[in-house]
Amino acid sequence: MKLKKNDSFKCYLISSPSLALIALIVVFPIIYTFYISLTNMNTYHWFNPEIIGFKNYKQALFVMDSGFLKAIFITIVWTVVNMVFQMVIAFSIASLLNSPLLKYRRLYKTILMFPWAMPGYVSILLWKTGMFNSQFGLLNQWLTKLGFSSIRWLASDLSAFICCTVVNLWLALPFMIMIIDGGLQSIDRSFYESATMDGASTFCKAVKITIPCLKPIIGPAVIITLFTTFKQFDIIYLMTRQPGSQTGSTIQTIITYAYENAFISNNYGYSSSISIIIFIMLIVFARFSLFTNKKEEAL
Amino acid sequence: MKKKNPLKIFTINIFFIIACFFALLPILYAFSLSLNANSSILSSDFSFIPKVLSLKNYKAVFVEKPVIMWFLNTFSLAFFTVILSLSVSIPAAYMFSEFSFKGKKPIIRILILLYSFPSILSMFAIYKLLSNLNLINTRIGLVIVYTGTMAIFGLINMKGYFDTIPNEIEDAARLDGASDFMVVRKIIIPLARPSIIVTGIQVLIYVWNEYIFAINFMTGSDKFTLASGLYTMQATEKSGSWAVFSAASIVISIPILTIFFLSQKYMISGLTSGGVKG
Amino acid sequence: MKRKHLTIVLFLVLATILSLSCSKQKDENSPITITIWHDKEDVVVDVIKQALEPLSPDIVVNFERKASLAETLKLVGNNPQTAPDMYLYAHDKIGVYVEMGILEPITNLVNSESIETLVPMTKTAATYKGKIYQLPIYFETLLFLYNKKYMKPEEVPSTTDELLTYVQNKTKYGHFGYIEQHSTPYYFGPWINGFGGKVIDEEGNPCLDSKETLQALAYHLKFVKYMPDETEYATVNTLFSEGKAHTTIGGPWLIPTIKKAGIDVGIANMPIINQTGKPLTPYLGVQGFQVLKTGVQNPEKKEAIIKILQILSSEEVEIKLALASGCAPAREGCYSYDSIKNDEIVMAMRNTAENAVPMPNIPEMDVMWTVTGNLLTAVNMSGKDIETSAKQAQEKALSLIENMK
Repeated sequence: MKLKKNDSFKCYLISSPSLALIALIVVFPIIYTFYISLTNMNTYHWFNPEIIGFKNYKQALFVMDSGFLKAIFITIVWTVVNMVFQMVIAFSIASLLNSPLLKYRRLYKTILMFPWAMPGYVSILLWKTGMFNSQFGLLNQWLTKLGFSSIRWLASDLSAFICCTVVNLWLALPFMIMIIDGGLQSIDRSFYESATMDGASTFCKAVKITIPCLKPIIGPAVIITLFTTFKQFDIIYLMTRQPGSQTGSTIQTIITYAYENAFISNNYGYSSSISIIIFIMLIVFARFSLFTNKKEEAL
Repeated sequence: MKKKNPLKIFTINIFFIIACFFALLPILYAFSLSLNANSSILSSDFSFIPKVLSLKNYKAVFVEKPVIMWFLNTFSLAFFTVILSLSVSIPAAYMFSEFSFKGKKPIIRILILLYSFPSILSMFAIYKLLSNLNLINTRIGLVIVYTGTMAIFGLINMKGYFDTIPNEIEDAARLDGASDFMVVRKIIIPLARPSIIVTGIQVLIYVWNEYIFAINFMTGSDKFTLASGLYTMQATEKSGSWAVFSAASIVISIPILTIFFLSQKYMISGLTSGGVKG
Repeated sequence: MKRKHLTIVLFLVLATILSLSCSKQKDENSPITITIWHDKEDVVVDVIKQALEPLSPDIVVNFERKASLAETLKLVGNNPQTAPDMYLYAHDKIGVYVEMGILEPITNLVNSESIETLVPMTKTAATYKGKIYQLPIYFETLLFLYNKKYMKPEEVPSTTDELLTYVQNKTKYGHFGYIEQHSTPYYFGPWINGFGGKVIDEEGNPCLDSKETLQALAYHLKFVKYMPDETEYATVNTLFSEGKAHTTIGGPWLIPTIKKAGIDVGIANMPIINQTGKPLTPYLGVQGFQVLKTGVQNPEKKEAIIKILQILSSEEVEIKLALASGCAPAREGCYSYDSIKNDEIVMAMRNTAENAVPMPNIPEMDVMWTVTGNLLTAVNMSGKDIETSAKQAQEKALSLIENMK
């Protein structure tokens, strides 16, 4: 019997610094944003907003036109596609990294972590201007050298989506690889030994031993990555929507859509209400997709 | 006796070389740009090895901008944030992992949901908060903001790993009379080393590369961090050059890579090196 | 024992008296610090620092470079402890800050002569709802630039139709007759203004679907077809610097980079649009000093700011600043100086300023940049129908402006 039930006070006490910080930096802003969403804080009432009730929310619901629905759809597709690719690729790479055949493991691992080390927006800029630019981006230069015609990578919705996915994977894989790699190392080798003695194939071992053992370890990381992917703003915005360097594609996620339709109007009350609405949508999404009994065990 | 299949070894190495090339592609581009003597323009005639090599962009990075000062600023911010973050999250993660107490499950659920709120949206609120506490423009204020932003991540990430540590080890320790603190120190931390290091590095990278909060909350260019300094060096229409910017980006990323490389050997968990056979 | 206590007490009393009197003295002699925010290069700031030297040690000016000045100012604007006293920035944000209630009319702080001797267009740019909020220092407009290797000065097209013919003939084998940042609203300015259209009018009504705007979009599209896809600065800069583009419309900031790349660049007057008889008329961007209300609350600070502004209104200072920044001074008198008269770029901008349209400084303009950018992208890059796109953009603009209130 491990878990003691009478130590609630001690648990809260020791967790209190962490919880206090979270309350301060995460909870308070949300509450404050909610408060602002009930006021009329905009350019004309910047420093002295007054409470106007739910008017902002009424206004916000009018924003939910077809553009918003398309944005929801794209956000979901974006999240699903990215998560699937991330998990599969990260798992494969991490497994191969732990293969006994590999000598320069440490070197490869470090190099694979490079994308993680560079500031995100720098990487995005480099991809956008250095790789995908239709005039002198690397990719098109190589294509023309090989005799093909250059492609307008970011101009159409589909190819822009693919390019953004590539960049997202590039940025996010190192973290996932690290986590899975750490998890793989914690699996007791004796499991594999006894499985081999029973004649199991590599694939069978992977499915029946590795994955179940990994689940609890990487569970939290998966959830965190899920949310990070969902609320990803930088990649899509900087690659395709930034004023002064737009590319012709019209893909939007909920967040970029909210930004272009609410945040630039300097109406903080209104933008705050959109933020709260998005937040509520996220909660609903999480409730349905995450908190089935099975997944909660993993937590 | 396992036969070392040379074909397999070859294939696996090729696979990784290709993967690494892909991982490094934009960085090699930036690197080559930074070594280019022809510094002011990108080129539609690009080759990985520039026609005229020069280190002058790197020199420019160190000479034109107070990079050393930025580095010290960032380093101190990152150091304190990581220390504070780990010392606050490890006990909390342990509590949430080991013990069951009233309200634990709902709190975890809430924490995960809270993590979905984008932190940029909170900036205004946090600014108001800090200015009321007179913590704008102070290192402490920024450290608190960074720690708070990563607190949920730290707690959940490490808790997950702590969950996998078999209870028998802890039971054995307690039977020997260890207090909670000793259990954490002597058993949990060594066994959970990979997770702690991953969390610590993630926090480090976050602070190292964070510029939005840094730019808005710290006035005065002597308080700039590397990331905010880099942001001001962007090659916009009015100023800056791509080559110097690339050089600066590379310079800024090197410390993190060094730390990562050095921490590799600690990433192996104590679990695989003995312990308790269940 | 008693003596020890006595000495300690005496010492404490003495120390307190000394420190009190010291701090009193400090107050009388301590300099007044004025904080100025900016987003300019060191070159420019150094000139200002030098000019303000005579004011020290009584008045100390503290310059802080802020990369996202506009946003940060919104956060701190009315907080006397963290807000600056003045800031040096473009004029187009004046409307937003006035509505927020943080700007002080500049007419309260400078004499009328400083205002009267300004280039008229800059005065217009600095005015919002009838009051002047900025002391203009220098301004910039876009210029018509050409590569002398491919085009001789006599060959520069004087009308846009001539330019179109040139483009049609010369755009091949990787060369471009004419490029620009085609889908960036700021660079669409010359076209829309030249047709008499507007993005938004003075009352804050967007005009994206007006007849003139549609004409401008259609005519402009003809040129866009011969340009590269990207509309960003990096593309234009690189192509022109490598000699792959023969002409462009760009800002004065482009010139040093091009010259460094070895291009022999020429500046010409903007071509005249055949349909309207007006030249391509770019936007005017005026940089100047704005003063915050928090800066003038303290009477001593107000005095200091008045003195600072007086120095900065002098012709010599403005000339130095203009030359350091590569822009044109905002004061009429400066143009009789040789250093200015001989500067080809500055004089070209002064000419353009006669007709140039200042960027709208009303708060509603903030949302127009994104909407207009999207409209241009839809028409130029996605090939959508002009009329429908413009109507949609107009509706979007109206709803965004509604949302602002």
